Amino acid sequence: MAQYLPVLALLLLGSGFAAINLVVSKLVSPSRPTEEKLAPYECGIVPGREPPHRFPVRFYLIAMLFIIFDIEIVFLYPWAVANAGLGRFGLVAILIFSALVFESFIYLISKGALDWGTLQVNRRLSPMVNEDRTVESTVRKVGLVGRFEEVESLKDALIDGNAATDSVPEQDGAAA
Amino acid sequence: MMSLFAQVPVSTPEIQWFYLAPILILALGGVLLITLTSVAPVMRGRHISALFTVATGVLALAFLPFIAARLDGLVDPVAGQGGRPAVDLVSSALVVDHFTLWVSGLISVAVILVAVMLDGYLEREGFESPEWYALLLISASGGVILASAEDLIVTFLGLEILSIAVYVLAALHLRRSESQEAGFKYFILGALSSAIFLYGIAMVYGATGSTTLTGVAGSMTGRNAAGLSPAVDSSLVMVGIALMLIGFGFKVSAFPLHIWTPDVYQGSPTPIVGFMTSAVKVAAFGGMMRVFLVGFGGTFASDWRVLVLFMAGFTILFGSFLAIVQTNIKRTMAFSSIAHAGFMLVGLYAAASPVAIGDTGKRAVLFYLLAYTFMSIGTFAVISIVGKKGDGNHSIEAYRGLAKREPLLAMAFTVLLFGQVGAPFTAGFFAKFRVIAAAAQVERTEAYILAGVAMLGAAVGAYLYLRVVVAMFLDVQESPSTEMADSADETLALVEVRALEVPPATLAVVLLAAVVTLVLGIFPDIGSGALAEAALALVR
Amino acid sequence: MIPALAQSSVLAAQTAFPILPALIITPLLSAVAILLVPSHRQSEVRLVALAGSTITGAMAVWMMAAFDKTEAGFQFVVNEPWLTSMGLNWHFAVDGISLFMIVLTGILFPIAILAAVPQHDSKAYHAWIMVLMAGSMGVFMALDLLLFFVFFEVVLIPMYFLIGGWGHGRRIYAALKFFIYTMAGSALMLVGIVSLAFLTASRTGNALTFDVTQLAEAQALGTTAQRLIFLTFALAFAVKVPIFPLHTWLPDAHTEAPTAGSVILAGVMLKLGTYGYIRFGVYLFPQAAYDLAWIFLTLGVVGILYAAVVATMQKDLKRLVAYSSVAHLGFIVLGIFTLNTQGLTGSVFQMVAHGVSTGALFIMVGWVYERRHTRQIAELGGLQKPAPIFAAAFTLVMLSSIGLPGLNGFTGEFLILLGGFQAARWWTVFAVLGVILAALYLLWAYQRVFHGTPTGDNIDMPELKASEGLVLLPLLVLIVFMGVYPKPMLERIEPSIERLVAHVEANVDGFIEPGPVQVPERPSDAVTLTEALEEAEKKAAREEGEVEDSVDEEGREASLAEGETTK
Repeated sequence: MAQYLPVLALLLLGSGFAAINLVVSKLVSPSRPTEEKLAPYECGIVPGREPPHRFPVRFYLIAMLFIIFDIEIVFLYPWAVANAGLGRFGLVAILIFSALVFESFIYLISKGALDWGTLQVNRRLSPMVNEDRTVESTVRKVGLVGRFEEVESLKDALIDGNAATDSVPEQDGAAA
Repeated sequence: MMSLFAQVPVSTPEIQWFYLAPILILALGGVLLITLTSVAPVMRGRHISALFTVATGVLALAFLPFIAARLDGLVDPVAGQGGRPAVDLVSSALVVDHFTLWVSGLISVAVILVAVMLDGYLEREGFESPEWYALLLISASGGVILASAEDLIVTFLGLEILSIAVYVLAALHLRRSESQEAGFKYFILGALSSAIFLYGIAMVYGATGSTTLTGVAGSMTGRNAAGLSPAVDSSLVMVGIALMLIGFGFKVSAFPLHIWTPDVYQGSPTPIVGFMTSAVKVAAFGGMMRVFLVGFGGTFASDWRVLVLFMAGFTILFGSFLAIVQTNIKRTMAFSSIAHAGFMLVGLYAAASPVAIGDTGKRAVLFYLLAYTFMSIGTFAVISIVGKKGDGNHSIEAYRGLAKREPLLAMAFTVLLFGQVGAPFTAGFFAKFRVIAAAAQVERTEAYILAGVAMLGAAVGAYLYLRVVVAMFLDVQESPSTEMADSADETLALVEVRALEVPPATLAVVLLAAVVTLVLGIFPDIGSGALAEAALALVR
Repeated sequence: MIPALAQSSVLAAQTAFPILPALIITPLLSAVAILLVPSHRQSEVRLVALAGSTITGAMAVWMMAAFDKTEAGFQFVVNEPWLTSMGLNWHFAVDGISLFMIVLTGILFPIAILAAVPQHDSKAYHAWIMVLMAGSMGVFMALDLLLFFVFFEVVLIPMYFLIGGWGHGRRIYAALKFFIYTMAGSALMLVGIVSLAFLTASRTGNALTFDVTQLAEAQALGTTAQRLIFLTFALAFAVKVPIFPLHTWLPDAHTEAPTAGSVILAGVMLKLGTYGYIRFGVYLFPQAAYDLAWIFLTLGVVGILYAAVVATMQKDLKRLVAYSSVAHLGFIVLGIFTLNTQGLTGSVFQMVAHGVSTGALFIMVGWVYERRHTRQIAELGGLQKPAPIFAAAFTLVMLSSIGLPGLNGFTGEFLILLGGFQAARWWTVFAVLGVILAALYLLWAYQRVFHGTPTGDNIDMPELKASEGLVLLPLLVLIVFMGVYPKPMLERIEPSIERLVAHVEANVDGFIEPGPVQVPERPSDAVTLTEALEEAEKKAAREEGEVEDSVDEEGREASLAEGETTK
């Protein structure tokens, strides 16, 4: 069991570090709470509304793009180090690997991972999507949200937009 | 630091691409499909993805006879395979023998049939995504890897390639929350079982110092009457075997690891369930047989086959009895697939027994897989049709009067259901017969009891299939006393059934499955040469 | 030499035309033909079915004529490979035991088709009946154990659809109960079959085979194994017969089935069980059958008495007939497990007789229901007045079922009791009470239904139509003929039975077929008595070791001696 001793030590060190920090900050720091201070933290601004629960799914695609290249680098690096020893076999292997990674990049692009606003893909595929929607109408503006009148006007704008949408597919259908 | 960057030439393996063809075709097919549809919008048209997938499957299938011919032509089969033709690939990561070919064939057939029925399904549900087909192909390539892996690490790799694609497929019906739930459930539990499996591999490696199946088997040969040779820690190996049994047991949904099955089958898109019951099961059993019979077959067989014995018995009982109370056909069929897995485990139990004569057990499992592939895909093709738009019309009530509206479909479905009952002159009968025969050949009391339990389970299970048949054929007119109450229901049911749209391609899948079920039931000798070769390839 | 030559020429003639496969394929082909008939021409469906079944029946009768009655072994043998790796064969053959089962099947099916018209879906109905006919034929001629099992199971499917699709009242319940009961019963038999085959193969060192004759000749099992496997077979057959505690599916199935279904169920399918006992139970496991005979004797007798009492209490005429079947089959089981020639011959004879008379009873009950739309005995009454011919026919059939001397029910019952009295005296004493009870419940039912003054709708009970009379006529003729002149049947059954008994004697330690202890005082049936006397002489001869003297007396003597020498 002796070989597990470092693990145990690390475990103790880690949890000890966390515990000490908590305890020390409790003891040392001055505590003068106000209502604003106890409210949820949001960039120093007093929150005007509940934080949004839904993010545009596009954010995740961006994150995945990042991870793809991250992982590619992680694997490319050791290959580069051992390249000479691996020879042609290693080169072919890493090329296949890179091709697969690149393929996923192509796929993500085609899914519109870098499109904002209306998806290029969907514009082509589905007449149900309003082509008039732009970045302006899609991305929520922080300053406006939470103000009653603004929301109302936004709603009106959206309804108008929908009305416009309704006419678009018919035209498409007629054209087709 | 110099030692870190020392340019020592590493010995790299020769790759015999020809033998890898099935895996490469399936995997590259998936990647190519997704790339083409990404860059060329033309490829996203109707039926193109399905056709591409079918073509890929057919191509993979077409390679098999040539590989078989070249295998048989090998002058000097690789040593350690008991003289059976086999080729080690990629420095003993994979092995191609007749067993691999059998499993690859079944998986390719499953891909083709599922792709055909998926086409009608996606058309109806309003999805056009080629992702379904790509995932199908990639999952299938994982299945082939799993069944041909000769190294436990590669086994795990195959298992994961197989599974992860199916997790996604289970959740791909984006408009059904049940589908999301199924995918999520399947993913969480599947990942857990994969982890346990990996832990088992680690244990075995720790005890034997090897991850290749031949290495593992070889390190145990020194076991004497008193136990193991001192080099191998037998308790560690047994823990490892048990953990790996859990991993495989989850994939084939064996008791007590079957709980996920009904939920996942109920929620997943129906054609994908067809894929799970066929290709996933085939691959998992293929991997299980290779790992357990080749890797642990010699020394520890007498230990783990007891576990398999109990698993098999309880799997059959649970599957059969719990199916009775179901009202949803997909849940019913999920329990039936659990029961079928139990039957295959009976075959595996027999295959693990130290019987010198014959490979009845192995052949039983392999034949069962063949029969069940067709029967289950056909069954789920029917369920997919009856499910209607939204894939939610799955109560057994939905089948009332089907024989009136769609006689051909109902007849084929009846054949498939009776096949699953194990009625004579269907493939299901010979599948069960072979399994029972294998158990009887063991000539041990517990094997006889297991065979008896299996047959009782089959008789109980008959009820669940007959309920559907009753609904289709018999339940149309009610007796005078209940006429008033039921006539409204009945007209409703008829109206609903009338609205069925039957895609010709899906119907063709159903008919093909029914015909194969019958033909294998009447001429069970078909393909028995390949079957025997496949069974012989697994040498303990 | 001359008999041998004759025999070989007969065999040559037999091999010219594969009659047994033809008996299975003809009904199957007519089922396909029925499906091909356009659905708007329903009347032709019936014609096709009738033609197919009649041709099959005619072939069965022709086969009976061609049957070599001096030959005790199997005839018309067909043996083709099926699943070679598992040692399975398409092995069909007929001997004296199965011959009349096949003829009975061939005769009952056309009559059952004629006797009742389905309410709806004539096409599917007739197709299923023809499939059922093919299956029934297959069961009785299969000599490969697994092939037998296949046919044994396959007949369930058409019967299930017939009951569920065209039955009365709680037909779906009855159909499911029938299917699950029988399937569960036979589930273990498959285990038994493969165990028997594999154990025999590993004990004898021969190749794996499911061939009945080879397995029976090998007799390689130990006592315990033999008993256990015998019990798995016995359970399957007991459900099918049905034997007393397992009979509860039968009243439901019979009552709810359509008329043709009831006729076939009673006439043919119940015989699968009793035939199975003789062909497989006794033949494959003589020792176990001998050791465990007491169980089946007891259950048989209990069944006779219990079913008789329950039948007496029935309010539904069809249910009453159904319970009378249980009682009659109790007799057959009793006869089988006497394990002597008289008992077994009587059982085979009674199987045919019961098929004919109960079939006729079900047909007539079906007609009563068609005319009066009720089967409740209380609602019927005085039918004799408006329909005297109908009543007369019913009387004849009922008396045959009771076992009146001179009618077919008597011959078999008498032989069974004769055999039973030698082998299992006390059981037989109780079984005889069943004969009296049968008279009680059937006569009482007859009295309530046909005697008295007709009331209500019973006044207008239509008389037997000429067409119906023609349907019934063959059965009535058979009832009388088999009662008056049973010799043609008995002399074909007996050689095979004697061969079977010799097989049992050869393979059971300390079992010698008990000869007739005493000659019955009043021989009512000359044939039976002569047979019994001959049997006694043979027995004496055998015991004194003078077998050679009687060898050339008759063909079956030869086969007996053969049995002796192999022993």
